[in-house]
Amino acid sequence: MMAKEQSYYAILGVSRNATQEEIKRAYLEAAQRFHPDKNKFAGETEIFLEVQRAYETLSNPSRRAQYDALLPPEEKQQLPVEWEVHYSRPNLVRLNEPQMVYILLEIFPSKQSGEIPIPPLNVCLALDCSTSMAGDKMDMLKAAAINVLHDLRPQDVFSVVSFSDRAQVIIPASYRPEKHRLESQIRMLQPRGATEIFQGLEASFREVRSSADGTRINHIILITDGHTYGDESACLELAEEAAQKGIGISAMGIGKEWNDVFLDTLCSRTGGSSKYIAKPEDIRAFLLNEFETLSRVIASDVVLEFSGTPGAEMAFAFRTQPEAGPLPTESPLHLGAVLQDMPLNVLFEYRIEPSLTNQDAVTLLQGSMKPVIAGLRTPIPPIRLEFSRPVSAQAGTEPPHPAIIHSLGRLTLYRIQDKARVELNAGQYELAAQHLKQLATNLLAQGERGLARTALIEAENILQMGGLSEEGSKAIKYGTRSLLMK
Amino acid sequence: MIVCPNCKHENLDGSVFCLNCGSQLVGSDSLVTQNIDTDQAKQTQPIEGKYAPPSYSFETWASLHLLDSGQILPLSDRSEFTLGRVSEAQPIMPDIDLTPYQAYSCGVSRLHAALKREGKRVFIMDLGSSNGTFLNGKRLQPHVEYLLNHSDIFSLGKLKIQILIKK
Repeated sequence: MMAKEQSYYAILGVSRNATQEEIKRAYLEAAQRFHPDKNKFAGETEIFLEVQRAYETLSNPSRRAQYDALLPPEEKQQLPVEWEVHYSRPNLVRLNEPQMVYILLEIFPSKQSGEIPIPPLNVCLALDCSTSMAGDKMDMLKAAAINVLHDLRPQDVFSVVSFSDRAQVIIPASYRPEKHRLESQIRMLQPRGATEIFQGLEASFREVRSSADGTRINHIILITDGHTYGDESACLELAEEAAQKGIGISAMGIGKEWNDVFLDTLCSRTGGSSKYIAKPEDIRAFLLNEFETLSRVIASDVVLEFSGTPGAEMAFAFRTQPEAGPLPTESPLHLGAVLQDMPLNVLFEYRIEPSLTNQDAVTLLQGSMKPVIAGLRTPIPPIRLEFSRPVSAQAGTEPPHPAIIHSLGRLTLYRIQDKARVELNAGQYELAAQHLKQLATNLLAQGERGLARTALIEAENILQMGGLSEEGSKAIKYGTRSLLMK
Repeated sequence: MIVCPNCKHENLDGSVFCLNCGSQLVGSDSLVTQNIDTDQAKQTQPIEGKYAPPSYSFETWASLHLLDSGQILPLSDRSEFTLGRVSEAQPIMPDIDLTPYQAYSCGVSRLHAALKREGKRVFIMDLGSSNGTFLNGKRLQPHVEYLLNHSDIFSLGKLKIQILIKK
């Protein structure tokens, strides 16, 4: 437990200059987390009472002033994560045309993070058991799920939901499950019906939520092989709700018949990402890897709330590690997890209109980051974050930070294939094929012969048939994405 | 605007990589492929029979004969090779680095062309190079494979190479 007495500010997880609005919000969040009706662990009622006391004082301006007068000077706060911001250029230039600037945000564990206990998991597997899964896919999926079940640590909570056009809870969220009995329940799963992802997602959400609290890594792993029809917007709403409750969603698509764009969108709302499993025999490795990653998490998510400046548009945001994936560009952003041994890196692209360069400096982003750290009992105050660049008449000569060149170089390949897709959808077949060929050249240069060949074959497919093959399309998308993590 | 030296695509000011071809635009100290006068490159004259054919090792399926230096580079083991010029700041690694043979001053791109064997036949493909690949004096279309015959001369920019194919 905490060695010394904490200030009321620390208990609520706000900074000393927090506004009344911020204090109120922090109180509501803490109250939800530690309310006596929900307590599962010893000592939480005491924390709740402390939160109450802190709020009663800080919410009243005169009592807050009295308290502040007696408060010892603030010690430099030791956060479990640190961050750095790198820019692609030292300044913007006064120009009559739009210009770009790239920003790399790195969030990494600090020395303090070693003292945080590794949080237990609360994970639900949502398994697509529609008829298309019959055969190898189903067998491999069952074997992988059973493997995970046996690898669980005693402190983990685990549940399994199977879904097709309806959902069934195979293993309710349970602590120290009876592994052998549950194993036979997984073995009995039978494929039937069509794929309706919302069914599976909703049931999984209920399971995870029943045991969700701030001390665990709460997560849903969705494994599917098919398209879902008509329930996409319901799924996205559910993902928003999950994100608010601190529940992450990641997805794995098996084979070629699933909707990668939709699953990416779904997961990115919670800071998660989607993965492509080309062959059923890889299901096990992907699933074990996902669990292994979840058990190295320091912060399960970093939530960035921000506002920008009109004319300085966040054109693109992409997480390059620990798990590569595109991010939305609207506040609040769920940036994703920070691992014990791997920082969270996010690249932002800003496009600045000429009208803004009449000023001396341009603020690109102003906001606060909130790392969600399950191993800590009290929340940490939001970290203020600002991206801004001075404006000069001349371009600076300083080269971009090597980390930016490194990530951007690899990201450029992903973006070229993305561009080819946009062109293809617009019917610009020649251009799309040309970009895939450019991609192939770059891939060859990096020694990625297999992927380069796929890109050339797909360029031919575009010219001859006006489209990409489903396998090739996914192989190129997820292949260029995985290059980012090398 | 920043015009990409490789593909001439116009990128917005502040871009770090070309969004069309992926070339690095700023922050690299490496050499950018020199643009050469294409008229000169077209005047390539085939040179035949001037050098004795090299002896082949067992696996060698073809050799590159660099006409300016007389150097012979055997191709073996793999069935596909990329030709280009290593540049320090970038992760581009052609299989055959032509830097020692005046590649830079001849206008060879970092990744210029690829050679490929299919059975007994050998193909060349330009990889979208700045100064082009020429076969017996004619400029090749990028990303299209062309059949090479024994003793054909191709040039990467101005660097002339004769292909010697094992029968």
